Amino acid sequence: MSPSLDLSTPSGIALALLPELVLSACALVVLLVVAWRHQTAEDSRLAGWLSLASLVLSGAALAGLWARGVHAAGLPFMIALDDFRYAGAALVLLLAAGTVLLSLAYLPREQMLAPEYYPLTLLATAGMLFFLGAEDLIVVFLGLEVMSVAVYVLAGYDRRSAFSAEAALKYFLIGAFASGFLLYGIALVYGATGTTNLGAIGGQLVAGRMPLLGSLGLGLLLIGFGFKIAAVPFHMWAPDVYDGSPTPVTGFMATGVKTAAFLSLVRVLYEAFPGAIGVWQPIVGWLAVITMVVGNLIALSQKTLKRMLAYSSVAHAGYLLAAVWPGTRLSAGAVLLYLFAYGLTTLAAFGILAAMGREGERDVTYDSIAGMGQSHPWLAFGMSVCMLSLLGFPGTVGFIGKWYILSSIVSLGQGPLAVILVLASVLSAGYYLPVIMSMYMRPAPAGEPVRATFLARAAGVAVAVSVVAILVFGVWPTGAVNAAGASAGTLAQTVTPVAGR
Amino acid sequence: MTDFLTSIGYGQWILHALLVLPLVGVLPILFAPEAAAKKIALAVTTLVFVLSAGLWWAYDPAVPGMQLTSLAPWLPQWGINYSVGIDGISLVMVLLTTLLMPLSVLGSFRYITRRERGFYALLLALETGMLGVFVALDLFVFYVFFEVMLIPMYFIIGIWGGTNRLYAAIKFFVYTFAGSILMLVALLVMVFRIADATGTLSFAYDHLLSHANLVGPVAPWLFLAFAVAFAIKVPVFPFHTWLPDAHVEAPTAGSVLLAGVMLKIGTYGFLRFAVPFFPDVAMGPAMSKVIVALAVIGIIYGALVAMVQPDFKKLVAYSSVSHLGFVMLGLWAGTVQGVQGALVVMISHGFSTGALFLIIGMMYERRHSRLIEAYGGIARVVPVLSLLLTFTALASIGLPGLSGFVGEFLSLLGAFEAHPVATIIATTGVIFAAAYMLWALQRIIFNRLDNPENEGLPDLSARELTVLLPLVAGMLWLGLYPAPVLRRMEPAAKAYVDLLQPRAASPAATTAGTVPVTPAAWETRR
Repeated sequence: MSPSLDLSTPSGIALALLPELVLSACALVVLLVVAWRHQTAEDSRLAGWLSLASLVLSGAALAGLWARGVHAAGLPFMIALDDFRYAGAALVLLLAAGTVLLSLAYLPREQMLAPEYYPLTLLATAGMLFFLGAEDLIVVFLGLEVMSVAVYVLAGYDRRSAFSAEAALKYFLIGAFASGFLLYGIALVYGATGTTNLGAIGGQLVAGRMPLLGSLGLGLLLIGFGFKIAAVPFHMWAPDVYDGSPTPVTGFMATGVKTAAFLSLVRVLYEAFPGAIGVWQPIVGWLAVITMVVGNLIALSQKTLKRMLAYSSVAHAGYLLAAVWPGTRLSAGAVLLYLFAYGLTTLAAFGILAAMGREGERDVTYDSIAGMGQSHPWLAFGMSVCMLSLLGFPGTVGFIGKWYILSSIVSLGQGPLAVILVLASVLSAGYYLPVIMSMYMRPAPAGEPVRATFLARAAGVAVAVSVVAILVFGVWPTGAVNAAGASAGTLAQTVTPVAGR
Repeated sequence: MTDFLTSIGYGQWILHALLVLPLVGVLPILFAPEAAAKKIALAVTTLVFVLSAGLWWAYDPAVPGMQLTSLAPWLPQWGINYSVGIDGISLVMVLLTTLLMPLSVLGSFRYITRRERGFYALLLALETGMLGVFVALDLFVFYVFFEVMLIPMYFIIGIWGGTNRLYAAIKFFVYTFAGSILMLVALLVMVFRIADATGTLSFAYDHLLSHANLVGPVAPWLFLAFAVAFAIKVPVFPFHTWLPDAHVEAPTAGSVLLAGVMLKIGTYGFLRFAVPFFPDVAMGPAMSKVIVALAVIGIIYGALVAMVQPDFKKLVAYSSVSHLGFVMLGLWAGTVQGVQGALVVMISHGFSTGALFLIIGMMYERRHSRLIEAYGGIARVVPVLSLLLTFTALASIGLPGLSGFVGEFLSLLGAFEAHPVATIIATTGVIFAAAYMLWALQRIIFNRLDNPENEGLPDLSARELTVLLPLVAGMLWLGLYPAPVLRRMEPAAKAYVDLLQPRAASPAATTAGTVPVTPAAWETRR
């Protein structure tokens, strides 16, 4: 039997928040350690390993909750206790661990020695965990802010780079704007329903009785989320920010932040607003279409890989929105699985990109990677697998994710959205394939010395594990598919399904 | 022979072995010294061919339907299983593939001089993909093989191709990918609609085939999506523009396999999936007129364009468009004769065009030119090569007694009843074929030996003869005594034709969507 927790008691809520609490406490400990040890590359590395240990500890606490199948007694209050949260949190911890591994050698190499980088990463991760597990709009906001503030700082971590400073400032201003929308939306929803608890809102807003105030609030919430997930037309910040930030941070933003935001979006829409599906479904559908098309079209015209990946991550936000669209448990599973596939692939791609760019990844262009297939066969192979996975090619986990999304859309009889999604994928072949083409089919630029590329051992392990996982889950997807489906199955059990869906 | 095969349990493992062996062969190639790669590849592909030859006897033409079937769960909650089996059509396509593989490898021995390990590893991966397409009995598995096949060919064209290889490679990839991914959506729509109607979520071929009439009013769209995916692959005019680029730029082995096998995957798709799933749409008056018209345009257009090509390889590439038009015509004939004719053209084209590309590769290795005008009068210098080139060209244009004749004759004969006008126009394609091929032969082999560079050319080596002779034998055998092949394909061809007979509109189609559905994954819909 699975134990239940009473979330209204202090001990109950503390147990329910164990992964978050462990992680926050560890972050403070690491912060304390770096207060004394913040001079050398050695210190930075020490902080990195401590952070990795913190993530593992938090993961152990999470595993404890997940394995016992702990659930809430009665209506979940403040924080969710279901497999959807556990699976999402596990994914975020995994992505954070990957980011730390990528950073270990990257920071000393780029002379970013201030080790506060790692506590900030941990705090951002803790914020993500709150964000994606929140059962209350206030907690959603708190989690979002904890996450965002830490990531603002991380974006500007390369103090000597004007681009990094620009990225941080831009991200901060736009982020503050987005938070404003979100907060205003929360206020309006509270005004309409008298509660901020997701389940309670869902109970109030049954189908057919959606007050105007609530619709307005929902719209503002969607805009707030739209900024965070970089959906077109709220994406303007993303390319500059992704481009200017240190590469591991970019990877973290493109994967971790997006994962947390999408899982929270799913929870908010599916638990609080199933009755308003008529309001949000068309908005999400159109956002998905515009985001897929625009993201892919602009990505086509990029010269540097980092900017290309930035725009491609916009395009992937579009695919994920399409996965949110159906509003069914199947589609919640699709979001989860796609985030897993996308996160794994993107992190590996940014890791390899960081290795390629000895003199700054901003310079890695399609031309400069020519001939890498022969000079660096393993890196080129890994990058090719990542590109094919992002393209959604069979044999990689990216295909399984896309297939799951298509299934969840098509099972509701929505053909056109599925067709647009696959046509957008065809467009994306136009910028993913040239990467492979350049590495394998063009000769190395004559006259120039071969670009020094190097992947430190820890980062190499992280990338190699990801690449292998991309292929393994592409060929034997059963476990991942079932886990995603089962986790999504625990979502929204307190809400009465909308009739007819 | 059959007893021997039974005694070693041949039927239980052969199809899996055919899919796994080439992939296993990739490993030693990657870790062997560069010089050994081609030998390993030759050994593996020859082994696969020898093993697959047993299928000829293991397959029993008297039993209709799929044989040697086996199934293993892959994503069982979604009704997806690794499920393989063959019928007479798959049988000959599998054998064609396994035969062409070692010949392509052997034909590349001197042509490929750099990054050999990668080349032969990709060829082997390609073999798995192609064989998988022909034996898959689960549409999801079919789709995966259909797509995965693209990657090795993309690299083969892009790395070892001619001067314009990057353009050709990406064009090839994007065309095929665009078509097939639309097919994926159509497949999912079909599967979910059938699941709604029957309560069973399954990607199994049999299940989809027997319930395909339940998809309802979207059937024309679904057929179109399948048809476009396969039409790009065939290629049917006007989807053919990737073909000349890809064929010309690809290295010899790539061209041989593209023309010999991969084009047939398109027609195989029509024969196995697109038409049997939606016979009412496919054979409806409007659709069949369009497709027959496109087939005839392809025949004539391909032949006319081939005629004016200065590049011999491009000429052969365009001749493929023309030949595949006969296949499409035969498939839409709606008679057993027509279908058998289409199938024989498929095999014969594999032999003759494969051989032509191999010979062009040999000529290129000698002269480093594929332009027709660079040659002339070489019959005096390289008599054996010229003889085999003439023989193959004659087989290709359908000289009676050689393989091309049987197929084209049967498909025209079969199509005449249903589409008399189109058939008459198509028949002129045979004349054009003779024109472009004989004219090219005249300029290459005969005329005056006026280019001094051609004077010292060496004739075929023993290796090159080994490459060509099996194909020559195949062309002769299929031309003189096609009965064993026809007998093996007959049940499948009959089954295909039976499906085309007009059926009464099924009442179930109108009630689709009202029956509750059961499987676990399916219930997670809210």
